[in-house]
Amino acid sequence: MRSLFHFYCKALEALLVLALALMVVLVFGNVVLRYAFNSGITVSEEVSRWLFIWLTFLGAVVALHEHRHLGTDMLLARLGPGARRACMVVAQLLMLAVCVLLLQGSLTQMRINWTVAAPSTGAPMAVVYIAAVVFAASALPMLLVDLLALFKPAADGAEPLRRSAAARPLRRRRSAPLGGELAQRAGAPSRAEEQA
Amino acid sequence: QDIKERNLRFAFSLAKDHPLGQGAQKFADAVAARSGGKMKVSLFPNAVLGSDQQNLSAVRGGTLDFTSMATGIVASLDKQFMVFDLPFLFNDAKEAYAVTDGAVATRLLDGLQAHGLVGLGIWDLGFRNMTNSKRPIVRAEDMQGLKMRVISSPIFIDLFTTLGANPLPMTFGEVYGALESRAIDGQDNPVAVIESAKFAEVQKYLSITRHVYTGMPFMMSKKTWDGMSADERKVIRDAAAEAKTEERRLTQQKEAQAIDGLRKSMQVNEVSEAEMLRWRQKVQPVVDKFSREIGEGVVKDVNAELTRMRGAK
Amino acid sequence: MTITVFLGSLLGAMALGVPIAFALLLCGVALMWHLDLFDAQILAQNLVSGADSFPLLAVPFFMLAGEIMNVGGLSRRIVNLALTLVGHVRGGLGYVTIIAACIMAALSGSAVADAAALAALLLPMMVAAGHDKARSAGLIASAGIIAPVIPPSIGFVIFGVAANVSISKLFLAGIAPGVMLGVALWFTWWWLVRREKVVPPPRRSRGEVFTALREASWALVLPVIVVVGLKMGVFTPTEAAVVAAVYALVVATCVYRELPVSRLYAVFVDAAKTSAVVMFLVAAAMVSAWLITVAGLPALVVDLLAPFMDNQTLLLIAIMLLVFFVGTAMDMTPTILILTPVLMPVVKQAGIDPVYFGVLFMINNAIGLITPPVGAVLNTVAGVGKVRMDEVTRGVLPFLTAQFLLLMLMVLFPQLVTVPASWFY
Ligand code: NA
Ligand code: NA
Repeated sequence: MRSLFHFYCKALEALLVLALALMVVLVFGNVVLRYAFNSGITVSEEVSRWLFIWLTFLGAVVALHEHRHLGTDMLLARLGPGARRACMVVAQLLMLAVCVLLLQGSLTQMRINWTVAAPSTGAPMAVVYIAAVVFAASALPMLLVDLLALFKPAADGAEPLRRSAAARPLRRRRSAPLGGELAQRAGAPSRAEEQA
Repeated sequence: QDIKERNLRFAFSLAKDHPLGQGAQKFADAVAARSGGKMKVSLFPNAVLGSDQQNLSAVRGGTLDFTSMATGIVASLDKQFMVFDLPFLFNDAKEAYAVTDGAVATRLLDGLQAHGLVGLGIWDLGFRNMTNSKRPIVRAEDMQGLKMRVISSPIFIDLFTTLGANPLPMTFGEVYGALESRAIDGQDNPVAVIESAKFAEVQKYLSITRHVYTGMPFMMSKKTWDGMSADERKVIRDAAAEAKTEERRLTQQKEAQAIDGLRKSMQVNEVSEAEMLRWRQKVQPVVDKFSREIGEGVVKDVNAELTRMRGAK
Repeated sequence: MTITVFLGSLLGAMALGVPIAFALLLCGVALMWHLDLFDAQILAQNLVSGADSFPLLAVPFFMLAGEIMNVGGLSRRIVNLALTLVGHVRGGLGYVTIIAACIMAALSGSAVADAAALAALLLPMMVAAGHDKARSAGLIASAGIIAPVIPPSIGFVIFGVAANVSISKLFLAGIAPGVMLGVALWFTWWWLVRREKVVPPPRRSRGEVFTALREASWALVLPVIVVVGLKMGVFTPTEAAVVAAVYALVVATCVYRELPVSRLYAVFVDAAKTSAVVMFLVAAAMVSAWLITVAGLPALVVDLLAPFMDNQTLLLIAIMLLVFFVGTAMDMTPTILILTPVLMPVVKQAGIDPVYFGVLFMINNAIGLITPPVGAVLNTVAGVGKVRMDEVTRGVLPFLTAQFLLLMLMVLFPQLVTVPASWFY
């Protein structure tokens, strides 16, 4: 199941790259057109904003899979294994509940905005809500698999949480390129990354 | 009387002290008075709960009870609302009020029910005028080459393009900064908005072009409406009518005051009748194109109302 | 009661290990319950419209620019330039760190990225030269946090959008205070190393200085483009960000030739993913912000702070202490997102200039990155430099104190921020 998610996320990554590249072209193109030809692409603003919404939600799916969403394990780190596991089950259930609500709400909004025309492209506004639907629908199975993993006994019995999904990001996040790059050059382990 | 305790929410993007905000306050007061204090309306001005587009979606979904926004935005649901945005449609506020209270407007407002909205009348934002940092705009040719912020609506983009300007759609919240940094040269809005947004601090010229009238449909969530008793609905309807009258009075009053106030810091110029005629000729292709798009029927009906009114004078 | 529900649900979920973005959504759900307006659409609407913002497009563009510049070898050239300039004086490597940090801050919006680069490049040199390891690591961490204060700054973009304050103005107002943070470090370092017996590296020849300058000049042009472009109104902050990204791309691929096209894909993936994490948090914060507003929570906070309302200085001190306290346990982006909707109405009501407040708030949030127990920059320096957390924490203390004292000076004397800002507008 996790490997299925893995391929799904690789496909999403390709879409992310496409969206980001298009955003660069549209916004940079607009600057150039404005100064070089005193004109502009009127749809540029709207289309780049929509690409951005899709980038946010699809990227959030990938981040969920890779456990890159920011969080804290200040309390969890101080608990015994049993209490910690209980906390993580509750956390996972809460996240599942939020995603169910989000799916329900974004489906309703999608239907409401099906016939609403966006100002400059005229495309239905529902397009942006579909991004939220896709996020919630993708997040649900991922969270569910992570939840089930919490109930599996660990092979070595020592650290059941480390390998589980809910071991929180500060520990497990992959580092972003610069940190990672230089860290590797300096022979250090990858570390947490924050976008301050 | 069958009236329940209710807490209702009314969100809009103008300031609380703008005539529309004062009209909203009037509505809240009238609802409280007519329901014996049982129905409360809380106001959320300045787009604190989101953009117009978002508020529209929220009212339709029933997570917000009331909102009011320009006809140009309501046109994203029903493009017939664009009819009121046709350039130089109305000569004065009196005509605008008569038409936005008339049969065509009532038909359009009733049509909003299909989109989950109850139309409670069209409030007044006023006639739009140009401001910019380059020159006084007298002739239509003065628009040539100006980078103007426009509301994100096809008719405005087309109008400004036809006038030779370079239209840039932008959210209202970003306009002040863009004007200040001179990323854009100017924008258009009713004078009361120009004043309350403090554009005078970053713009030198105000030109009274009155090129488009902006009506503000006042809308309620059909979900909330359907859950109300006949008595409650009457309270809402009566309060809305009362508020509309008051809002229009305040807008008129404010318009006169605002121009005088803006004169202190901006160079204000009028546009002569003769030039006005040339503006109208120049934008006629826009009127023609959008009349077709909006639906010839509605445009004809509105024009018929106007002709009748003008003939009666 | 509303405040209890807000804080209780948010902190409770975070304590259970729920990621902050989801904790904010849960907090929104709890507030909906409390306010008796439960509707799943509220989640969807605000999450979507929270991500729907043209100004916030600056976030992925600055991330992209930063990643390209780092992978493309710009940081290395800047550190090299600083080395040839001041490496030879007593305690020179410390000053090299500070100068390099200020220049890199003008190129990147991320404290963690800057601190990681400085730690990887300079910490081994400082230790080899004989400087105290903890102290050197502390200096690098505290120099890293200049990044979000000097433009470009992702923190300012997020604050500007959340508080509806001009991002251009925040950027321009951040320049001088950012340099002041560097000056504060300069004096602290000078004071600390005056008795250290460390032999500095030999002075470089004029030729070497010239070569280093020429090599770094491509990187040095970028901040000039951004600042001049913003000041002259050539472009908006979003456009400045995209220009920065395209410029960095051209320099890295065509001038330095250190970024092969084959690696571009990975760079774009990483920029997109890090942006998505930040943006999802921003969007989730919009859900709780909407409900906070409907609940009238800012008004409650204004009432709570009523005793301070007519004394701006006292009010600011109270707010700064609150932010510092929150910052010990939370990183920058979530702190900005959670506190802005609550604090901004208070700030406005008290008549405090929002740009000035934004600068103080940003410095305070940056300091939060080097306060234990949760400090992303501390973690980074400890990890990259292979130093124990408690050592870095000990080493950062004097620099942290100097920076906090500077912040307090800025509270007492607003001119420190507002006067230089007026030169740049
Ligand atoms: Na920076
Ligand atoms: Na901290």
